Amino acid sequence: MAGVGLGPLRAMGRQALVLLALCATGARGLYFHIGETEKRCFIEEIPDETMVIGNYRTQMWDKQKEVFLPSTPGLGMHVEVKDPDGKVVLSRQYGSEGRFTFTSHTPGDHQICLHSNSTRMALFAGGKLRVHLDIQVGEHANNYPEIAAKDKLTELQLRARQLLDQVEQIQKEQDYQRYREERFRLTSESTNQRVLWWSIAQTVILILTGIWQMRHLKSFFEAKKLV
Amino acid sequence: MPIGGESHGNQRPSVGEAGGAHAWPEGAETEVVAERGWWPRPESLPFGGLRFSFGGSVRRRRRGRHLEFLQTPDFPVNHEESREETRRRQQYPTPLAARITPAGMGDKTWLPFPVLLLAALPPVLLPGAAGFTPSLDSDFTFTLPAGQKECFYQPMPLKASLEIEYQVLDGAGLDIDFHLASPEGKTLVFEQRKSDGVHTVETEVGDYMFCFDNTFSTISEKVIFFELILDNMGEQAQEQEDWKKYITGTDMLDMKLEDILESINSIKSRLSKSGHIQTLLRAFEARDRNIQESNFDRVNFWSMVNLVVMVVVSAIQVYMLKSLFEDKRKSRT
Repeated sequence: MAGVGLGPLRAMGRQALVLLALCATGARGLYFHIGETEKRCFIEEIPDETMVIGNYRTQMWDKQKEVFLPSTPGLGMHVEVKDPDGKVVLSRQYGSEGRFTFTSHTPGDHQICLHSNSTRMALFAGGKLRVHLDIQVGEHANNYPEIAAKDKLTELQLRARQLLDQVEQIQKEQDYQRYREERFRLTSESTNQRVLWWSIAQTVILILTGIWQMRHLKSFFEAKKLV
Repeated sequence: MPIGGESHGNQRPSVGEAGGAHAWPEGAETEVVAERGWWPRPESLPFGGLRFSFGGSVRRRRRGRHLEFLQTPDFPVNHEESREETRRRQQYPTPLAARITPAGMGDKTWLPFPVLLLAALPPVLLPGAAGFTPSLDSDFTFTLPAGQKECFYQPMPLKASLEIEYQVLDGAGLDIDFHLASPEGKTLVFEQRKSDGVHTVETEVGDYMFCFDNTFSTISEKVIFFELILDNMGEQAQEQEDWKKYITGTDMLDMKLEDILESINSIKSRLSKSGHIQTLLRAFEARDRNIQESNFDRVNFWSMVNLVVMVVVSAIQVYMLKSLFEDKRKSRT
């Protein structure tokens, strides 16, 4: 960092610099690097009727300046969301910065895939694109400032609303848990049964094969007048 | 063999009825004692840890910050009412919010000017799509193909705490290499072939990098779940509470207390219902685990029987063959 002229308020200046550095490096969230044709997928296991909001921001690597540009105009990301049955729920292209939303209608593993739509090789000379990603599920997706302003709620009312939303989400997750547990139980019991029946069948087959072998060999030897 | 569970379809028991013959434990504590003290890991199962895909993963997911601030109030809870409420759960929009009326604006003849301004400005100031503020806790689940390594970065301020928890959900062996590096590049954590882990670091300013490495595996792809919990993030924590700027009016005391009590009662009854469901689920899980353990025993036993039968049968065969020849010689001489 270049030394900015620090006046008498040295501590505040340093703090401001730190803040500035943080702002320069971008939003304070998780990020990862993605190649040009690379596709990154994330799995969200959610109950049904749950809203999911995803936010992303991209930065491109500038090879000459060896730094990430703050934004990449002209570069888009393609977002594809598949539901647990493999059906595509959302398949859209967004700009270099975007926000996608979908609501699940079946419980299970939803797959969120991101890949860049860049066709021009020059755009990816360095081969790296930095993607900041944030995915909010369920009641985390609610925009409480907006709800507070729209319904004109006081602090206590808003808190109560938050509590209600949270508990509703917990209830949904538990319902989903029961449904999953039931499927798991059925699978376990069927596995149990199959193992038992197959073992019995195998034993019976072995015994029968042994008896047949003996009879066949005995008649063979008798036929050949060896016995 | 096709897994029988796939044909089950999408039937979900509703909350009011317990599925099948399972009784709802009304108030009674269902203590489930697991008879065996150990849980067989897939590696220790016979057949080299063959794992079936049940169409859903078991996962310890921690969205644990929900119930921190809740203390159980000593309000009498009407159980009849709670069951009614549960049955009407589907037609439950936001009745409490609708019933709780905002403080009568007509009674207040004077509002502070900044609040008026803020009330007028929300459409402009509301956080929109451009420039999102990411949350403090985030979790992701992703698929890591065989022979690949994927890294994630998290910018951190000074003296905050970063907790990262990861778990391998699927993939033969259920293990992965994990690597956590500080902004200077110094390796803070390096774990090899672990199936889950939790790490907390006190942070300096910069981007922390953590990587999941699947290069040791040539054929199996892993599904990895990781969760980041950030604390003491400083200025950013202030931003998360910015909904406080958008509230209007103040709380009046006389009529509202009943509404507050009612909503708290409703929350308590729902939470105790959640507790009951959790107990039930715990019982089911223990029972399923016992089924699997008996399965394991059964496989062992019948395999032993199989082996013994094979050996005995081959011994009898050999003996009978030999006896055939011996009889002939006796009759000749």
